[in-house]
Amino acid sequence: MHMANELLSVPVAAGTLAIAGAGLGLVCRKARQIIASDKLALMGVLGAFVFAAQMVNFQLPAMPGTSGHIVGAVLLAIILGPHAAAIVMSSVVIIQCLIFQDGGLLALGCNLINMALVPTYLGWFLYKTVTAGRPGSGRIYLGAMLACVIALEAGALLVPIQAGLSGVLVVPFSHFLVTMLGVHLLVGLIEGLITLAVLGYLQQVRPDIVAGHLPGKVRLSRKALLATLAVFTVIVAVGLSLIASGLPDGLEWSYAERPDQPDFKPIVTNEDSKVAAVDDFQAKYSLMPDYSIRPSKLGRAPSQRSETTAGWTSFAGVVGSALTMAVIWLTARILSRRRPLNA
Amino acid sequence: MHHAYIDKFAYQDSAIHRLDGRIKFLVVLVFTAVVISLPRTSPAILACYAVGPFAVLVWAGIPLGFAVKHILVISPFVLVLALSCPLYDKTPVTVLFGPVTWRTSLGWMRCFTILGKFVVTMLALIALVSTTRFNDLLAGLQKLALPRLLVIQLGFLYRYIFLLIDRAHHLLRAKAGRKLRNLGVKTELRLAAAMLGSLLIRSIDSAGRVNIAMQARGFDGNWRTISKLQIRPADLLFAAVAACFLLALHFLIRPVLR
Repeated sequence: MHMANELLSVPVAAGTLAIAGAGLGLVCRKARQIIASDKLALMGVLGAFVFAAQMVNFQLPAMPGTSGHIVGAVLLAIILGPHAAAIVMSSVVIIQCLIFQDGGLLALGCNLINMALVPTYLGWFLYKTVTAGRPGSGRIYLGAMLACVIALEAGALLVPIQAGLSGVLVVPFSHFLVTMLGVHLLVGLIEGLITLAVLGYLQQVRPDIVAGHLPGKVRLSRKALLATLAVFTVIVAVGLSLIASGLPDGLEWSYAERPDQPDFKPIVTNEDSKVAAVDDFQAKYSLMPDYSIRPSKLGRAPSQRSETTAGWTSFAGVVGSALTMAVIWLTARILSRRRPLNA
Repeated sequence: MHHAYIDKFAYQDSAIHRLDGRIKFLVVLVFTAVVISLPRTSPAILACYAVGPFAVLVWAGIPLGFAVKHILVISPFVLVLALSCPLYDKTPVTVLFGPVTWRTSLGWMRCFTILGKFVVTMLALIALVSTTRFNDLLAGLQKLALPRLLVIQLGFLYRYIFLLIDRAHHLLRAKAGRKLRNLGVKTELRLAAAMLGSLLIRSIDSAGRVNIAMQARGFDGNWRTISKLQIRPADLLFAAVAACFLLALHFLIRPVLR
């Protein structure tokens, strides 16, 4: 899931951009030593493949009407190795940002870390660890499955953390975290199944492609499928019961104890005076006098005059901007009508 | 397929299109950072900031309907997060907006601000992408110290992406023509795997042919372009205007709108 600009503060965005840039620089340097120039076209085309593969939807098990698609990070890491896969996935994320505007320019650093660098390296590491030695098909199954689930969960885990660090989170951190992890548990399960199915297909049809990376035979048997679904059902059930017990507390906490909870200061936004504005309204102290707390709550009317002017200023700002845009649009229109005459 | 035509306007010609990609990229980056760092509960000022990307889009001759439609396509994730704000922040506020006054909650203000920032920053990004050819943008980014390997990778990716998306559509159409009902989890999964696998094999094969063709033409891992990047007076003028716009909003409008 793409991080959005709006969930980040500028320092966090700059920090993650710097980390992602440094990481990517390192990966590129490393890859430059390993990857021959005849692999460059392959990497580029596989990046395009990731996009195309995301068009291929399929029915999700147990949820009629919804469909899923592959993310591809772990599949690429298994086929290409982690460095090349990291570069391919990074380029995919950059194109998603620049051409398709998925995730903003400032969130690019976060997205690179969450969706390209962490999943490929972590996924590859897990897959290699589990399938070390001479594994049977069960261990390969387990390895790829674990790699997909944990790699995607790790990426998903980072989203609320980055948003929390930015202090933009209005949704309580725990709720956001649980939602992200829950959704991505499902995404990871589907990713694992489809990655395994594709690996199995490749091994059947073009064994040369996966020769070095798939030590045993991959088969997606009914038994394995059922076992996986059973394990996931248990995980989801346990997770749900944990959340169910924790939820009311979390809600109460976020409403009742917010002002004196240091953890919750960011939720009310960074400007401290806004916290004050919530408690005792003072139009002139507030950073946004155009929106004022309902005066009846405190039983005293704030100075009506300053409030009204503030309301009118913001009105003037919006209307003025709209007028400016209209003027720009009209000018451009008139100019473009004239252009053929001048030419 | 809407994605295939995302940057179709980048190949038009206008004063904005002719500007240097680096300058445009940096301006959009700074603009985004400034908009994101605006206070989180006052949507009014965002309208003023929207004037900038709006002007660029209009002057570059990009249809506004295209930008709006595209913003709608990419909005779901942000929309969900923005709409969850009113659920969690119910501090009542009274909004005075010119002649109208209404009572609402701080969460709604925050929701509108998030959506407003999203729209404004995305307008800026769309303005950048649909006025700059991707190759020029890449050349500019390389000048801005993007690693060369990544530039090559992005160049290849951009070159083949629409080709492979087309191919995926052929596969999907073939499937739709043959598959008439839901086939159950395992068969569906196997079907998807076969489609993805054959797409992957075809990609790898065509990459091999691309590689042979490029090596026959002397490709040695270096990306050579004939585009000469030059900062011209027009670019400096654009940067100056953008800087004036941001500074004026920051020092003149923002204190008033507070």
